[in-house]
Amino acid sequence: MKRSIALLLVLTALALVVASGPGRRPAAAQVPATPDGAGGIPDRGPGVAAEVAVDFARRNGRVFDGWSKPGAVLVLTGELDGYIEPCGCTGKENQKGGLSRRHNFLRALAAAGWPAVAIDLGGQVKRFGRQTVIKFQSIAEGLKAMDYRGVGLGPADLRLPTEGLVAAVAAVGTAPTPFVSANVGLYGLDAKITPRTTVVEVGGLRIGITAVLGDRQATAVRNETIEIATATEGLKAAAAELAAAGCDHQVLLAWTVAEEAAKYAALFPQFDLVVAAGGADEPPLEAPALPAAAGRAPARMVELGHKGMYAVAVGLFPGAPVALRTQRVPLDARWGESEEMIRLLGDYQAQLERLGLDGLGMAPVRHPSGRRFAGSAACADCHQEAFDVWKESGHAKGLTTLEIQSPRRDGDPECLSCHVVGWVPQKFEPYEGGFAGMAVTPQLAHQGCENCHGPAADHAAVERGDLEVADEERTRLRASLALSLATPEGKERAVNNCLECHDIDNSPKFDFDTYWPQVEH
Amino acid sequence: MRERPRPTRVAAMALRKPSSLAVALAAVVCGIGFGTGTAALVSRLQPWRVGEFDPLGEGVRVAETSARVSVDVTTHAFGTIALGNEGEHAFVIRNVGQAPLVLSKGASSCSCTVMDFDSRQGGNDEAEKSIAPGGSEKVRLKWRGKADGPFRQQATVLTNDPGRPEVVFVVEGAVVPSWRAVPSTLVISRATSGSGERATADLFTFGDTAPEVVSTALLNSATERFFKVGVEPLPAETIAAEKGATGGVRLVVDVLPETEIGLVKQTARVVLRTAEELAVEVPIEVSVSGALSLAGAGWDPDRQALALGTVSGKTGGRWALFMAAKGPHRQAVRPVVREVVPASLAVTIGEAVPIGNGNVMRIPITIELPAGSAPAVNNCTKQAPGGRIVLETGHPESPTMSIKVCVAITP
Repeated sequence: MKRSIALLLVLTALALVVASGPGRRPAAAQVPATPDGAGGIPDRGPGVAAEVAVDFARRNGRVFDGWSKPGAVLVLTGELDGYIEPCGCTGKENQKGGLSRRHNFLRALAAAGWPAVAIDLGGQVKRFGRQTVIKFQSIAEGLKAMDYRGVGLGPADLRLPTEGLVAAVAAVGTAPTPFVSANVGLYGLDAKITPRTTVVEVGGLRIGITAVLGDRQATAVRNETIEIATATEGLKAAAAELAAAGCDHQVLLAWTVAEEAAKYAALFPQFDLVVAAGGADEPPLEAPALPAAAGRAPARMVELGHKGMYAVAVGLFPGAPVALRTQRVPLDARWGESEEMIRLLGDYQAQLERLGLDGLGMAPVRHPSGRRFAGSAACADCHQEAFDVWKESGHAKGLTTLEIQSPRRDGDPECLSCHVVGWVPQKFEPYEGGFAGMAVTPQLAHQGCENCHGPAADHAAVERGDLEVADEERTRLRASLALSLATPEGKERAVNNCLECHDIDNSPKFDFDTYWPQVEH
Repeated sequence: MRERPRPTRVAAMALRKPSSLAVALAAVVCGIGFGTGTAALVSRLQPWRVGEFDPLGEGVRVAETSARVSVDVTTHAFGTIALGNEGEHAFVIRNVGQAPLVLSKGASSCSCTVMDFDSRQGGNDEAEKSIAPGGSEKVRLKWRGKADGPFRQQATVLTNDPGRPEVVFVVEGAVVPSWRAVPSTLVISRATSGSGERATADLFTFGDTAPEVVSTALLNSATERFFKVGVEPLPAETIAAEKGATGGVRLVVDVLPETEIGLVKQTARVVLRTAEELAVEVPIEVSVSGALSLAGAGWDPDRQALALGTVSGKTGGRWALFMAAKGPHRQAVRPVVREVVPASLAVTIGEAVPIGNGNVMRIPITIELPAGSAPAVNNCTKQAPGGRIVLETGHPESPTMSIKVCVAITP
């Protein structure tokens, strides 16, 4: 009998050991991460209240359900597209993304005692020009501060002037650069400003990382100081390097569409994680498996979505029957804010402020009408009732909302373009005679009349008697500024004009018929 | 959805045997262990499907009398949708339990995707819906293609099934525009003053009618004189390679040699006639530089200064810069160091090598502060003006280059 009991107890212990393995466990058994202690499931950022985590889990989905502590976690991010922070125009809490939350997500993993390494596909910016260079440099600084260990380069990153790019990417002192590329060489492939591959150790595992720019995407890079080999050529050399490095897992950051990335994966089956670009705004709920090469486990294809709204966490469970799990992580308010990244953002804004619009190379463009702006106050002389409605509206406080932010955003052209008169909203550049700063053009502060009706300097001058024109011209000027909702065409024109600023990023709930009564005049 | 394993109920049976309390206790422990272990093993062999969510986990018994959700398909791949158009799909939820199944709307991932319960044609906006045992309900998702490219959105239905309190429905596909420019913005990052540059963008159309060029124009009159635009036919294989495209033309932009140094912006407009008239606009941004430029860690292109920061003279330091030489005189560039302030900095010029196709020469410049260097302050302030590295370049038009150095060497 004693022998039977002993046997039963041994079997019981074995069963319990299996049960406590890395397989799915009841969520009820999960212990939320604590801000100050190790252990548990990282379901919110340090210092964030449990009810906030619950609220955002309800809105955007729970994370790490059924996970036990992995041997290692690869945190994959990318395609930030310049969204260094989520736009806060209609309440930042409604938006996902930003470096600050990303940093706090990484800190939550650390607080839970999960060994993690952060890796980024690239695509930090989307635009061009001085502000974009400064933004790229700030983001690169942020990635280094977050201890990223592998970062690829997207085509928009590579369109930046090489001087600015190299200043952000090159290794400083003895610290190696996290940027990596198999087929892109800043100042030539043999200049070795970025390594071809990198190997990191996390949770006792060796992770090999390389990045490649797809052949088609490479054609968008027109910069003779950057040498780009074909993707296959670059990957041959990188794959050989990684094969010799004794890695447990290998990650390919492929800046190309998923179909093309899958072809690279088939050619180089040693990669068990392939990260692709150019998918939908949201990544899939789970990373799909690619067709398996003979004798190998299938590689997983990871998409990251756009604008840095999500991270994808890849949990590695060495020796477990399910050795790899993926989790799409919405970077929403459940992660809270990182003071370090907020400071970085403040420095970025201060730099924009210091350079000013001239220093940022904001060359004004001609308005399609060829006319200039008068400022909303000029309209009040004749259109007092309409002006009074505007004065009481949120539009009349447009610039103020940027001035009172912390850090303030009134030096940021990407914000200014929808908060002052006389800018091209979607291109973030001023029209000739548009707002140029409070010291120069205070009359053009805020979202004023002429952003909808058109530049009115000539019309105002004619009506005041400062400019003499024929009656036909007076009538023509009046008609050119009229905006009527009485016809479908007129309404369409008005709505399209609103959508220039009330877009999906900045005003996701915008509905003309709901919003119009607030400013009806 | 697969059946979840139930816990093994051996404990009660064991207690009926009066022969040994120890055996009974062992059996209790053993039963729990095996139950949990088996559940864990089975769960590994039966991975969840995408879109499912089960917070209670396997092995947790759900009352036989409760509501139970059954859904065959949670993802709908719609293929393609035209930009601005709406799509719609109905998913079916069945109640295979014993009690009424109550559904309510959870979150949608985008305001461009809305969900209705739809027991009658056209949908309704009831916030909650109850399904009797054995009954079913349609959940209708509507979405609008708001942006060109791949599309994926999701909507969540909350249920009172304790085994599956959330069902996530996903719609995915691609939004097809009436036209697409590849690249959407033409950026020429490093044009050289005095040399011309050519760039192209492929303009694809997606309708049934082949495009006919109506007109081309440059929209920014201030920089019009620096550009020439034209249109060429697009090779059939290029059109075939663009998913969904049915026609197209190639926009050819020549940046003229007289373009001034700095950032130059322009927008090209090509009006195409297909079934409708399409005004295709492609922004052009060109960064024009001189024949010589510098790059490297610490090089600040705004201030045109090498910012080395505060360095310990005791340990010293080392920095790598690159000079790029472009244009017709690039082969003549052979820099020679003429002056260095502070004098403790050692500057070495490496061999010039061509980059890529040879249109640019790369010349490495290594700056070293030997260990044990004397303190010096040249941190580019009024009190301590910056240092400099003066090079004789060999370039006939820019024979001298003075590199400002901001550094503070501490003892």
